[in-house]
Amino acid sequence: MTATAITKAAAITRAALLGTITLEVARYLPDEDERPYFQSYDVPFHDDWVVLDALNYLKDEVDSTLSYRWSCRMGVCGSCGAMVNDVPVLTCATFLRDYLPGPIRIEPLANFPVERDLVIVLDDFMEKLTTTKPWIIRETEQPLDQGEYLQTPAQLAEFKQFSMCINCMLCYAACPVYQNHEEFLGPAVLALAQRYNHDSRDEGNAERNDLVWLDDGVWDCTFVGECSAVCPKGVDPAGAIQQAKLESTLGWYRSFLTPFGRR
Amino acid sequence: MATRTPTPYPRHRSRKWFLTRWPYQRFMLRELSAVFVAAYMVVLLVLVTQVHNGQHSVRSFENTLKSPGLLIFTSVALIFALLHTITWFQAVPKALPLRRGENKVPPGLLIGAHYVAMLALSAIILIIVLV
Repeated sequence: MTATAITKAAAITRAALLGTITLEVARYLPDEDERPYFQSYDVPFHDDWVVLDALNYLKDEVDSTLSYRWSCRMGVCGSCGAMVNDVPVLTCATFLRDYLPGPIRIEPLANFPVERDLVIVLDDFMEKLTTTKPWIIRETEQPLDQGEYLQTPAQLAEFKQFSMCINCMLCYAACPVYQNHEEFLGPAVLALAQRYNHDSRDEGNAERNDLVWLDDGVWDCTFVGECSAVCPKGVDPAGAIQQAKLESTLGWYRSFLTPFGRR
Repeated sequence: MATRTPTPYPRHRSRKWFLTRWPYQRFMLRELSAVFVAAYMVVLLVLVTQVHNGQHSVRSFENTLKSPGLLIFTSVALIFALLHTITWFQAVPKALPLRRGENKVPPGLLIGAHYVAMLALSAIILIIVLV
């Protein structure tokens, strides 16, 4: 038995006997602290507890000053993202049992300023989110008496994956390009642009691509791929961006060959 | 405790970001592989110029290629070329997803087709060189 295995076995035994596991939680109170620091807490270990359950326990029973965002507890609202042992995750979908022997280090999502404790400043993401017009754009609206815009299952499959985004921003926390170049539109915004560009009901590609095809759009991406690896909804923003790069290249050739035509 | 003006804590850029996690290190290795592939292209170009200069130059260059330094370089370049190939082919289903109606063509099939194409092209080149 290796030393690591013995340590882990001891920690599991300890968790089972004492029923606790240690959380190291990043704290930052903006009116008191100059910089964030870690505070350790022992919380009850339950096999079916997720990290968010442990944070809620801390908030309710131990330290009511702890701040973090959460809402649905079922991986739908995208509020409870945090770095757990350096990886961006939804805390409502991350089990304590997967981090035995502990300690579990919990920090606010990387690459965003910290408002307080685990709460990040969302402003940059929220501003970028609307720049690529993530809604259906029509040149002319069809009269109501002609009914709804119909779509085949194959047309729906073209964009459905990209429509599953819950704006949790884990992809931004995993993206080293965003970390080092804040102007980059980022994975979720570009995937969402692709979602509407591939929607058969939409006619707004040219408007969106004015931004998407720029350097700070898809061409900043170096295809690290971690945005897709951490995405809790299987959106695959890295794939969306590479596909948009291909479309951008074809668009450039089209504009070169037919300078007065539409892209 | 002294109070201060509440200010969000800024997050800092790091030049060492790629050291923090294995997926980032893997990405950097993939990017570095292009340098070795390009460097080996230079070796091939030199070989072409030696062929142009005649048989004596080719023999001399063959001896240079057998030097320990170049043997080590070629071995490392081969490993990076394989890494380059594998990672590029792995990226294909993301950049070029194919659909049959509602269903995606399985990624394994797309990647496999690229390996088959690579082997077929390599075989054709080998035949041209040997025949």
